[in-house]
Amino acid sequence: MKNLRLKSARAALDLSQDDLAKKCGVSRQTISAIEKGDYNPTINLCIAICKELGKTLDELFWE
Amino acid sequence: MRLEASVGITVGIIVGLVIAFALLKAANTNHRMKTDYDERQQLIRGKGYMYAFYTILFYEVLMMIIDIGEFSLPIESYAVHCVGLIIGVIVLGVYCIWNDVYWGLNNNKKTYYAIFVVCTIFNLIPVIGQASMGTLIQDGKIGLPILNIMVLVMMAVLGIVFIIKKLTGKNSSEEED
Repeated sequence: MKNLRLKSARAALDLSQDDLAKKCGVSRQTISAIEKGDYNPTINLCIAICKELGKTLDELFWE
Repeated sequence: MRLEASVGITVGIIVGLVIAFALLKAANTNHRMKTDYDERQQLIRGKGYMYAFYTILFYEVLMMIIDIGEFSLPIESYAVHCVGLIIGVIVLGVYCIWNDVYWGLNNNKKTYYAIFVVCTIFNLIPVIGQASMGTLIQDGKIGLPILNIMVLVMMAVLGIVFIIKKLTGKNSSEEED
C-alpha cells in the first residue's frame, strides 16, 4: 500500500526523495520504495524519517 | 614448474588484492574501504548472495559430474573453479543492479565507472595479445586468458543489465509517483 502521507509530508517541506534520503542516511531508492509501499522500513528508519519531517510515527506510519 | 605457477598466481592474487583495496579507498566518497548500504539494500543484497551461493553450488556439482564422467572441457581444470566464481559474481551483480542495490551510499559512481573501463582494458590486452599470436587455444584448451575472457563476459553482462535497467526506467532516476 502506498504511503501517501509520507510523500505529502516530504513535499510539504519541499524536500526531494534524494534530500530526505541523505538526511536519513539511506538511498533515494529506499525512500521511493517506502512511498510506493514496496518496502516496510524498520522502526529505526521510521523514527529517523519522522524526526526529519517533524512528524510522529502515528502520523506517517500508523494505519 | 607447477610450484612456480602456484607461487606466481598467489603473488598475483595478493598484488591484485592490494590494488583492489587501494582502489576501493579511492573510489568511496568517505575514503573508507567498506561500502555502506542502508537496511533495504542489505536485505536485498543478502538474497543476492544467496542466489549466487546456490549458483556456485549447482555449478560445482555439475562440474563434479562432468569430471567423474571424464568429459573433456575446452578449459584447464584450475580455470573451472574460477569460472564458477565469476558466474556467481555475475548472478550477484545482475540481481543487485536489477533491484537498485548495486551502488552503496558512499560509492563515487564516476570513479567506479572509470575503474570498470580500466579493468576491461587490462583484461582485453592479454586476450588480444594471445589471439593475435595464435596461442589463445593450445591443445584444444584455452589457457590462462580464460579468466580474462570471463571477466570481460562479466563486464559485458553487467554493462548490458545497467543499460536495460536504465532504458526500462526501473532504476527510476526521477521522483516516483
